[in-house]
Amino acid sequence: MALQILVVDDSPVTRKMVRRAIGLCGLAVGEVFEAGDGVEALRQLGAHPVDLVLADINMPVMNGMELVERMSADPALARVPVVVVATPMSEQRIERLLDIGARAYLAKPFRPEALRDLVLEILGRGGHHG
Amino acid sequence: MDEPTAELLGEILGEVLQEAAFLFVEPAEEAPAWPDRVLVAEIAFESLRGGTLRLLAPPAVGIELAANMLGADPADPEAEENGRAALSEILNMLGGTFVTRWFGTKVPSQLGLPSVRLADPRGRRAAACAALARTEAGHPVLLELDLG
Repeated sequence: MALQILVVDDSPVTRKMVRRAIGLCGLAVGEVFEAGDGVEALRQLGAHPVDLVLADINMPVMNGMELVERMSADPALARVPVVVVATPMSEQRIERLLDIGARAYLAKPFRPEALRDLVLEILGRGGHHG
Repeated sequence: MDEPTAELLGEILGEVLQEAAFLFVEPAEEAPAWPDRVLVAEIAFESLRGGTLRLLAPPAVGIELAANMLGADPADPEAEENGRAALSEILNMLGGTFVTRWFGTKVPSQLGLPSVRLADPRGRRAAACAALARTEAGHPVLLELDLG
């Protein structure tokens, strides 16, 4: 089955960039949903079950840190892996993100192959490699 | 901790523009001939010290960045519509790269949200620490640092 992915970033350009990377990285992908902040992301997750969330941290309304915390606290969403796709940050901040439930961190800018390798590692689904 | 230098700003400017948007720049020495209106993007940071990074570029550079980041033609309306957002995202990446490069990754740091406006560049006060570069098309790009 193709992956359903939610991309969360307040920058429309970045959402499109991430979409482009998803398209180029060779994964079998179904629908890609988008949200501009954490609140919108939770709304999208309520409407569309996804296999993976790619989320920025530095966002207005509800940032990525709070989104990860909310998802981890919700039994229906805690199983959905979140990869934080954000600008370079301190080790302490990355550790905090992993502590509260994020599965991995990918620094922007990134290459599509880096995204593919990370997703395959997290989902353990070699069969999705198209 | 050494003071940040123009060389550091120039280094991260070249790296981020190339890696994020396939835009190649060369360091420039002389003051640029700015157009009447330029895009000015700003982002605040906090760590061992606080300050603001500012990125100035003609609107044409924003369009080129958006086109490259989106895989679109520069003449595509999508590229023109996203010029400001592309510059904003580039500055966001520059901010994260700058704070982790200057303060290191072991020190907590925080970035604000970037903002972009159109402004007249003439008569503006030059920052003490700045790196000027030129794109292959000859457009100037300036990265400035103000420490709080």
